[in-house]
Amino acid sequence: MSGTELLEIRQLTTVFPTRRGEVRAVDGVNLRLKPGQLLGLVGESGCGKSTVLLSILRLIRQPGQIVQGEILFRGRDLRKQSGKAMRAIRGKDIAMIFQDPLSTLNPVFVVGEQIREALRIHHIVSGPRWPWPLDIAVRQNEKKRVLKIMEDVGIPSPMDRYAAYPHQFSGGMQQRALIAMALICGPSILLADEPTTALDVTIQAQIMDLMRQINQSHGTAIILVTHDLGLAAEFCDTIAVMYAGRIVEQGSVDQIVTDPQHPYTEGLLACRPRIQQREQRVQPIPGNVPDLAALPVGCAFAPRCKYARELCAQVSIPMFSVEDGRFSRCLRHTDFRIEPHLGWDEIVRL
Amino acid sequence: MRVVKILERLLATIPIMFGVAIIVFFFMRLTPGDPVDIMMGQGGAVSTGEIERLREEFNLDKPLLVQLWLFLKDALRGDLGYSYILKRPVTTLIAERLPATIELALGALLVSLLFSIPVGILSAVRQNSLLDRLTMASSFLGISMPGFWLGIILILLFSVRWGWLPVQGRISADLKLQQVTGFFVLDSLLTGNRQALISSLRHLVLPSITLGAPVAAVVARVLRSSMLETLRSDYVMLARSKGAHEWNVVLKHALRNALIPTVTVVGLQVGILLGGNMIIEAVFGWPGLGRMVVDAIFNRDFPLIQGSVMVYAFTFVIANLAVDVMYTYLNPKVSL
Ligand SMILES: Nc1ncnc2c1ncn2[C@@H]1O[C@H](COP(=O)(O)OP(=O)(O)OP(=O)(O)O)[C@@H](O)[C@H]1O
Ligand SMILES: [Mg+2]
Repeated sequence: MSGTELLEIRQLTTVFPTRRGEVRAVDGVNLRLKPGQLLGLVGESGCGKSTVLLSILRLIRQPGQIVQGEILFRGRDLRKQSGKAMRAIRGKDIAMIFQDPLSTLNPVFVVGEQIREALRIHHIVSGPRWPWPLDIAVRQNEKKRVLKIMEDVGIPSPMDRYAAYPHQFSGGMQQRALIAMALICGPSILLADEPTTALDVTIQAQIMDLMRQINQSHGTAIILVTHDLGLAAEFCDTIAVMYAGRIVEQGSVDQIVTDPQHPYTEGLLACRPRIQQREQRVQPIPGNVPDLAALPVGCAFAPRCKYARELCAQVSIPMFSVEDGRFSRCLRHTDFRIEPHLGWDEIVRL
Repeated sequence: MRVVKILERLLATIPIMFGVAIIVFFFMRLTPGDPVDIMMGQGGAVSTGEIERLREEFNLDKPLLVQLWLFLKDALRGDLGYSYILKRPVTTLIAERLPATIELALGALLVSLLFSIPVGILSAVRQNSLLDRLTMASSFLGISMPGFWLGIILILLFSVRWGWLPVQGRISADLKLQQVTGFFVLDSLLTGNRQALISSLRHLVLPSITLGAPVAAVVARVLRSSMLETLRSDYVMLARSKGAHEWNVVLKHALRNALIPTVTVVGLQVGILLGGNMIIEAVFGWPGLGRMVVDAIFNRDFPLIQGSVMVYAFTFVIANLAVDVMYTYLNPKVSL
């Protein structure tokens, strides 16, 4: 079963020690990704989406750290890999598109060279590896590939843009350059962290089209991180909804959109602006995002949930399998009884 | 384009130099102490006729504005007048002394950068480590320690106690060095004089360390804090996500950005290296501009002071220009 998975994350927990206590930014997250799959990771700002992606690449900043879980890439646990083995995977097998293009591009290097960097690091273009400046032959070939990918991602006149600096690019072009950087080594997984948040709607559509093309032509699996459930529903096959460091619901797009199991997903669907129904007002979810340094024992969403019962705040709620490949972390749609001898936090499904 | 801009900036230094010279001209004449009186005080009893003759010779009997006019007229032709005390052309005196000062400043700059750049990088990479704490504590010492004190300690240890390095001067007295540029290290290289090269380098070590220590301390601190910032940046994360080795991330992505604010600070420090070394020149018997200017001030040697100040202003502006030019290479968002 797990042999077909490209990436399988089990019980991933990542914490940041802070002055106010330990922030559990990612708490027991399980995810599965098949080759070519499009997985959406959706949730409000600060719920730990970026931290999941950075944990996969083992790029969590000190003093933050992954304290628990397995990250199986092609069956190998990335948490057990050496620094060298991890570097060989980063950028080559698993590449990431970061959230904010302007601050992510290095302001002092020309864009073309920044795209070429991963090619150089992973020795993608074969040839004699002489020290600079004797490596002209290899460098020329690498440059050709960079120009090709710049064209592929829709950067006009790549020859001229190769030697331009990031601040000379528009926001959309910066995002394309970042995508080119992530794709240059032909990764099997692309981690896309809010790739279109900084862009206006038309550019957003172009970028999403581009990502879909990449997925179809290269079979690249993509984890799309976004706070926009609508965008994820349009783009992905599977969606995982995240709240306060935990996955609260997971399923196919159809299941999530037509029959949300978790009240938080329901809330997200309600606050999605719908163009067709102009009358209907967007309904924001009442209440505030919880403090990750002081999470309750029970459901973190309970204080904002209109279905919440006494029990919700008192017991830790496990992932219930609703149907095949579909999970929800809510007591509402689930029949259960409390087994007194198991203690309060053990809930047994009927 | 860049060359034209640099030439423009060089031309702009001329009014700056004159402006500074005019300010000094008035300040010196408004502060108490008359040059002729001071000269006479050294020579004993002199007749009033003699004093009048000297005043006339130095143009000190004329109205202030006429004096200024005469000074500016000569200066425009490149003639900065005669030193009252040393009785030699100011330009000659400066030409003799300036190379020593610049050589020492460059030595100090080199020493301080060789020390501060690795230290700044390492203490940022290993923030809060023992190394970081030690170097930051010692850099605090480096900033607050008086220069002459460090100089004396170094002389006591390295020259007097262990006899490794010379006590003072620029070169051993028994060595003959043909002067070409006045920079002894350069002249030794140009004339292929190995002994002179070694000797002049050995003479440079202690004064360079003494003069460079506070600069090294400041630069190390600035570089450390800018490295801490760039190491936290998103582009460093991007480089890591491409699979770059950590040293590549640090030395290429983080350092190149951290150098931008650091270069500005180094530029300000170069001014201090050129103009703030009188005491260190005295401690090490270094025949530079600084000591000559201090003597000139005590003697109210107006032409020598004015000339030296113009040279200081010039070197200052040149150092700033060099920094600005470097800045444009480091920061693609900025042009001259
Ligand atoms: N380096 C860090 N140190 C301390 N806390 C951190 C750090 N990085 C993230 N966090 C905390 O972890 C939580 C999750 O952050 P994360 O960036 O993963 O959220 P996100 O879902 O990506 O949000 P956004 O949509 O705003 O990007 C936040 O509460 C944040 O405060
Ligand atoms: Mg994020």
